[in-house]
Amino acid sequence: MSQTPQRPLPNGLHRAASALNGFARRAPSLSRDASAAGSLGAPAAPGDEEEREDDPVQIMLKARFAQAETDIAALFGHDGQRARTAAPSPSEAHAPTQPGPDDSAKTSAPPKKAARTIDEDDYGDDDDEDEDEAEQQSPLKTKGKAALPNGVIPAAMRSPAPASLPHIARTNTSASTEQAKSSEDVRKQLEEDKQAAAENAKRAFQTMFFTFENDRDAMLEQQKLDELDREVENEISGDTNASPNAQATSAPAATTQGTLGSADLGASSLTLKHLIARIDLKRDMVRASDNQLRTLISEVRKGRSKWASEDRVGQEELYEAAEKVLMELKAQTDSVQPFLQRVSKREAPDYYNVIKTPMDIGTMIKKLKQFTYKSKKEFVDDLSLIWNNCLKYNTAPELPIRRKALHMRKETDKLTPLIPDITVRDRAELEAEERRARAAEADESDEEDEPIMASRGRKAPKKGGKSGPSAARKAPPSVEVDDQSTPQPDTKPPIHASASGLRNEYLRADSEAQDVSSAGFNTPPPAGTSTPGMNGGSGAHGSQADVMEIDGIGGSALGTQQEDADEDDADFKTWKQVTMKDRAAAAAERNRLFRGEHLNPDEPAILRSKAGMRRWMRQQKMLSADKSAQDADDAADDGVGATSETLAEGIEKDEDSTLPDYYHPLSSIPDMNSNWAWITDSEGYVVPQTEEYMRMFPKDTFRTPGGALAGRIEGNIRQMQETRKICAKIGIVKQMQIQAQTYQNQFQKYDPEPFAEADIGPVVVSEEGPLMAPWVCRAALKRSVGKVFYHAGFEDFQPSALDAVTDVAGEYFRKLAENFNCFREQPKIDAVTPKFNYEEQVLHSLHESGIDLEGLETYVKDDVERLTTKLSVVHERMKAHLADLLRPALGDHAGADGVGAFNDGSEQFVGGDFAEDLDEDFFGFRELGLADELGLETLSVPLHLLQNRLHSGYQAQNQGPVSATGMLFTPPPAYDAISVETLPNHIGLVQDFFREKLRKNHDETLVEDEDLPQKQRFPKPRLPPTGKISSPRKRPIREQQQAAKKKRKLEEDSKLAPPVGKLKLQMPDARENGAEPEKGDGHADGAMLSPESLTAN
Amino acid sequence: MAENKGKYRTEIQQMMFVSGETADVALETTSMIESIVQQQVMEMLTRATVLAARRGVRTISTDDLIFLIRHDRAKVSRLRTFLSWKDVRKSAKDSDDKGGADAAADDFDLTANDPTLGTGPSVGTRNSKNKKAKVGLPWDVSSFYSEQVPEREDEEDEEEDEMTAATLARLKQADERTKGMNAEEYLHFSECRQASFTFRKGKRFREWAGFGVVTDSKPNDDIVDILGFLTYEIVTLLTEEALKVKAIEDAHKRESGGDEEKRGKKRRREPGLFDPPEEARTPVGARHIQEAFRRLQQPDLKSRYLSHVPKGNFQRTLKLI
Repeated sequence: MSQTPQRPLPNGLHRAASALNGFARRAPSLSRDASAAGSLGAPAAPGDEEEREDDPVQIMLKARFAQAETDIAALFGHDGQRARTAAPSPSEAHAPTQPGPDDSAKTSAPPKKAARTIDEDDYGDDDDEDEDEAEQQSPLKTKGKAALPNGVIPAAMRSPAPASLPHIARTNTSASTEQAKSSEDVRKQLEEDKQAAAENAKRAFQTMFFTFENDRDAMLEQQKLDELDREVENEISGDTNASPNAQATSAPAATTQGTLGSADLGASSLTLKHLIARIDLKRDMVRASDNQLRTLISEVRKGRSKWASEDRVGQEELYEAAEKVLMELKAQTDSVQPFLQRVSKREAPDYYNVIKTPMDIGTMIKKLKQFTYKSKKEFVDDLSLIWNNCLKYNTAPELPIRRKALHMRKETDKLTPLIPDITVRDRAELEAEERRARAAEADESDEEDEPIMASRGRKAPKKGGKSGPSAARKAPPSVEVDDQSTPQPDTKPPIHASASGLRNEYLRADSEAQDVSSAGFNTPPPAGTSTPGMNGGSGAHGSQADVMEIDGIGGSALGTQQEDADEDDADFKTWKQVTMKDRAAAAAERNRLFRGEHLNPDEPAILRSKAGMRRWMRQQKMLSADKSAQDADDAADDGVGATSETLAEGIEKDEDSTLPDYYHPLSSIPDMNSNWAWITDSEGYVVPQTEEYMRMFPKDTFRTPGGALAGRIEGNIRQMQETRKICAKIGIVKQMQIQAQTYQNQFQKYDPEPFAEADIGPVVVSEEGPLMAPWVCRAALKRSVGKVFYHAGFEDFQPSALDAVTDVAGEYFRKLAENFNCFREQPKIDAVTPKFNYEEQVLHSLHESGIDLEGLETYVKDDVERLTTKLSVVHERMKAHLADLLRPALGDHAGADGVGAFNDGSEQFVGGDFAEDLDEDFFGFRELGLADELGLETLSVPLHLLQNRLHSGYQAQNQGPVSATGMLFTPPPAYDAISVETLPNHIGLVQDFFREKLRKNHDETLVEDEDLPQKQRFPKPRLPPTGKISSPRKRPIREQQQAAKKKRKLEEDSKLAPPVGKLKLQMPDARENGAEPEKGDGHADGAMLSPESLTAN
Repeated sequence: MAENKGKYRTEIQQMMFVSGETADVALETTSMIESIVQQQVMEMLTRATVLAARRGVRTISTDDLIFLIRHDRAKVSRLRTFLSWKDVRKSAKDSDDKGGADAAADDFDLTANDPTLGTGPSVGTRNSKNKKAKVGLPWDVSSFYSEQVPEREDEEDEEEDEMTAATLARLKQADERTKGMNAEEYLHFSECRQASFTFRKGKRFREWAGFGVVTDSKPNDDIVDILGFLTYEIVTLLTEEALKVKAIEDAHKRESGGDEEKRGKKRRREPGLFDPPEEARTPVGARHIQEAFRRLQQPDLKSRYLSHVPKGNFQRTLKLI
């Protein structure tokens, strides 16, 4: 049953190669279809006998199998896609490596794939093997081959397609295509189911809280897996490093600098062949190495899987699927752990006595990467070999490892049908067959060229000694075959187990892992992976605990029940599997952040990222959208995704994470209270919303409460202010009576503002209760004390006095409150009755502070209420006094309009009192006969009519309010000023007069007397304080001087001139004076009556 | 001051008689009362001087004295009545006989020192020009304002009415006592009512009260008059309180082991128609006066103000009675 690896035929069929390239491009879909098709008829047989020995738990699990199956299917699709996209491997190395001898030479050098320079000597061997292979494969691969070309494309593309793929052509009937199509449908449906399941799971993650306790395990497992991958890589690269040296002798020309064409560029060599040829021509001028060039070209040619190879037909599809299955199995984190690595002899010394052909997943990955597998069967056989080995070694049925193995086998059975049944064949071989099948057919020019390239670039996988062991290793496909004698069955175990280099490498990997992981975490020894061998015999509970401990599932306390429960919970399982990678990453992140028990200060700070927040928002939206409709869900998701992308375009990479939001607390955006929103009103002003949600300190707490007593005190204060106003007026009047002259601003108007207590501004408090702000309270008390001061009669007071009294009052109140508290907190007589009731508490504390109710009452009665009446009395008195001062006669007897004041003899009218006593006709009224004429007793003038000065002074004092009242009627427009221009408008009588005036004024516009500057104004006639009109109206000084001069002249003239002339002269004199009032020299003609004439007497 | 002892024995006896102690009082008692009164007067003068000094004046004024007793509203009211009547008389005298300024003191004596009597000469002068002038207190409402205005006729002071209640009560008491008196007794009584520490004894009083020592040597006449009035009040108060003390003591004696003494005390306390002659009563003793003084010195409630604040001086100041 030995299967030999396919080798490229020396006479490679280039046409077929180009066709294969076309297939390879659509490899993903093809392989998926193929695997689906495979699942149809795949035998799921190999579990029967094991199930018989299943323990009860296993039977119970069977009941949930159907459900779990869908989940797994979902996972498969999901993970498979991810794995394919996530692993762009640069390696297209065909060279199969032999792990054993080369392990020691392995280094951490980057894998160098220059192994394309393979000598063509091996072709002969290949031919032999190919024939064998062809014979063996044909029965196996029928189904797989049917799926591979899918029947459609090759037929459509070119006619010779069936001929080029002989085996395929054989099976590629119409029936098979139909089958393939139906399988494709099934496949699609499966995938949809998986996606739906994944979606459901994702949704469940958001709604269900999963604890972090498994994250550590996930991290450790992930580390192990990564380590495994790395190890495989290293081994391969070690081989590749070693192989060129080995081949250096055989192909010395190719070692130093192979032509670019010799490098395996896959299909690129076809499309870019001219370029490559050109580069080859100038190879020595290109400074890049082969590797660089190859990566460059593979960069240019995207869309190729790392498994793709133009030389090996079907390899891409098979390996894709195989890798997917391996990844899937690796994701079974609970069960896969023991099977990841080889069982070491240290753990199970007798393991290799029992198990002759050990196998583990790590080795399989290695083999996969070394392209060891030629067919699905080899792969599947290796897989089942793992489980069967385990079952074989661990015979005790209660061992958990058995359950794990059974579980894994079930998973494997589920997954294997997805692998397309493909046998990898060498293109050369295929082409050879094709060529053989078809007769000589004329090749086109393109195809002519290709062989050159192909032959150049075709490098046969190096085999030599390697092909043998690898083939041997793959030879045992199943456990049943295990014991059969294979050509080199015994060579392999030594290679795995006894290779000290390999062992060393494990150790090194372990130490590395330990370095990576921080001190808080101990990586389980690699032995943990191979515990089956160790614990195989015991089967005791303690061994179970050991297993658990080694597995790292949170400690030995977890029993089998726990594990069962975990397995029972489908959600949890799904959770664990789906999120393992992400959880591992998160745990590693956390792990990095904490070194030991402490925060690692060297770690970069955790910052929230826009991407994280975006994801968080998307998740929230998704959750809310879930509530609505399931159908609309997908669309909503897409919509959300689209919007978020637009929001975040070009900012950060939006990596997708399966983890729920509580894994990213940093990214979460808390709900914002709607009151905190920035709301603007229509004018664009921000609407303050503070009052609505803040606990504001109640208003008016720092103002006098409006009680009866406070109201009375306020009233008293207002009354005092009013009275003081009157007082100020009285003072002014008295002052004016004393002073001969008063000035305009001598008296300040007293107009006190009513007291208004300001409240404190808005204050936000955190809790109920009094506001503890000593300075505010003190200020309020100070204000109250000030009011009491004012109420006690102080109009103003020194601040120090106010401070002192405030302190005293504050101290007093503090003592009062202390006393009150003391009485209130007296121990109770019994449980309910306090020692003092409320009244007693108050009265006692008042008494302690030296006050009693009588004292308070007395104060209210005497100092407040009686004060009110007293104040009103004084106010009335003041008003009366002021009235007396202003109008002495206008008492009650004066009558309504003051006429009555003239009736009682008018003694009060100072005007002429003393003159009457002296029998003097003070004003000369008597002489005029006014008394007789008007029937007056006396002829004195009421004082208030004469007190011009007082009146004007008072008016000046009260001008403000009067003017403030405004005028009822607007004053008439002022007359036009008289000027030369406006003169003709006036009547003729005055024209001359004004013209005269204008001429005197140098033809300037005349100014009214009222508008003259103060000093040029004519003084208004006034009655002096004596009440006697002594002199005629004052004239301006200039005129007076003129008049005096003239008078003197006149007197002189009168002496000189005859009297007749005097009269004549006088008239022109008067006229000369012009503006001189007519009363000027009035004493000449006694007939005229004027006040001035009175004074003359 | 030992030589001052007994200077006012007669006056004190007379005052005590008016206050209700009818029996002859021992010299010891009067001496004690005298010393108490002297102490009170000196204290008053000292404090008034301090007050005046705080105002920046060396001489004390009536306001200072009134301020000292301001809390006893009844007493203040009586004092104001006294002062107003004093003014009335002075002005009346001034208007009536302008020439005889020296005789004013002689005329003044009749009832001048007894404002509590209230009746008498003032009735006729009520409607005259010399109407009773109100004695204003410095803390009156009118002092609130910068301008002092004359009072008007139609304003009545309700406060005064209330304040005179105590005075009226005392007058009524005196009236009751004089009801059963014959002419001689009433004459004696009214003579006793005129007893004064100051009247016509100005020089003696000044020496006795320590003028020139505790205060300015030349006080105002008004101040002397006020002090005379206040001393009279003090003696009255002391006597009344001592009588109460004595009554209690007698009652206690009567209950514990009564003799004939108790009957006399009991009857004396409620003078009635069949009272035994007053000579039978035992006079108030010095211990009674002492106890009365102690009671009067008891701190009132207001002294507890800020009692919790620690003060340096724990000695209680003398209380003016």
